[in-house]
Amino acid sequence: MNFLHRQTWPRLRDEGHEVACHFCDSLHEVELIEEGQSASCNTCNTLLYRNRPQSLERAVAFGLSGALFFIGMLALPFITLDAQGSATTVSMVETVVRLWLQGGRTIAITVLAFIFVLPLTILFSLLYICIPLSRGKTLPGVQLVGYLFQVIQPWIMVEVFFLGTMVSLLKLMKLADVSMGFGFWSMIALMLSLAASVSGIDRIELWDRIEVALARKDQEDAAVEGGVEC
Amino acid sequence: MLKSAQELGKVSCHICAQVSSIEKHVCGRCHSDLHSRKTNSVQRCIALLFASVIAYIPANVWPIMVITQLGVTEGSTILGGVAIFWQMKAYPIATVIFIASVLIPGLKIIALIWLCALAKGLVKMSPKSANKIYWLTELVGRWSMVDVFVVAILVALIQMGNLMSIEPGPAAVSFILMVVLTMLAAHSFDPRIIWDRVRITSSS
Ligand SMILES: [Zn+2]
Ligand SMILES: [Zn+2]
Repeated sequence: MNFLHRQTWPRLRDEGHEVACHFCDSLHEVELIEEGQSASCNTCNTLLYRNRPQSLERAVAFGLSGALFFIGMLALPFITLDAQGSATTVSMVETVVRLWLQGGRTIAITVLAFIFVLPLTILFSLLYICIPLSRGKTLPGVQLVGYLFQVIQPWIMVEVFFLGTMVSLLKLMKLADVSMGFGFWSMIALMLSLAASVSGIDRIELWDRIEVALARKDQEDAAVEGGVEC
Repeated sequence: MLKSAQELGKVSCHICAQVSSIEKHVCGRCHSDLHSRKTNSVQRCIALLFASVIAYIPANVWPIMVITQLGVTEGSTILGGVAIFWQMKAYPIATVIFIASVLIPGLKIIALIWLCALAKGLVKMSPKSANKIYWLTELVGRWSMVDVFVVAILVALIQMGNLMSIEPGPAAVSFILMVVLTMLAAHSFDPRIIWDRVRITSSS
């Protein structure tokens, strides 16, 4: 295949490929754009799609680093509180356990869902799709995982939790000596990795690549079956 | 103005953005259900907003945490917390909490009611401005959860026996509910119906 200069997005070249603006529903012919550029709606100027350079590599690299920092955030010491000689150090996991034991069950479940489960699901689904895609393959159930990846995105709240930590630090500083551990720094790194990995690849490009990989698999399967018959 | 996919007999998948014929009910590429417009979006949005308002009031009136200090128990509301930070001269923090917890949810509910009225043709506004308002309501929604997370950290950390302990107050649950409900309300709204109305009026 010959691509435009640094152009690797597969279906961007196809003719008659259409896209509708999700704000005003204006129908556009997909325009070929170079990497680094973006296309907007002619009617309302909303962003339609972006052609990210090294999109898959980026999604995978930041997804993997995100997974690493996620473990760090959970397990490593998050905050140390030193009040009149007695120091308390907690990790994020301990924070949620203590919260649960203190009667804050609904809040504990909220933190569990928005800070642990959903970010982990996003990272997992992104890697599940993108690692095989970088070799032009897909794993079973890719459509379902892609669906999850799409609907979970608005519910990721790691950066909101980060802001909450900063605010509580100011409250805690009045009462005791506070110091942040590696768990806290992992959370900041996770927050940045999540943002970079999710925005690393355009949604339309992701699905175009899935479609191409699935079509190739069907072709190969058909070829294998044909071979057996002969 | 370009013609909409709907006018051209087409529908765009809300998951993978593939454009199909409007007669299809399932996307051939990602297997999700296809809807030209979100079903009953205005009614759903209004219902969810109504529920959010019901949760918004106790979330701001009841104490979000209960502080026991040297045997004295005292409730702390969100606005009370803002006032304490203000007295401490921590103005940026006081402003952040006030904006995230009180202003954003309140304004978001008003903005969505306005957008629903616009979709029903009860008020007038340029559709581009409506887009901006909708984009903002979707963007800022999550940030209202910040005070819940502050309570989470304080409750988990401040357990110093008789000296001082903090427990979550009754407002915490209504607050979480309120944030989730306003987010669901924003997701259920479909800005394309505002544009449909503009297309109809400009063509007739
Ligand atoms: Zn548009
Ligand atoms: Zn689809």
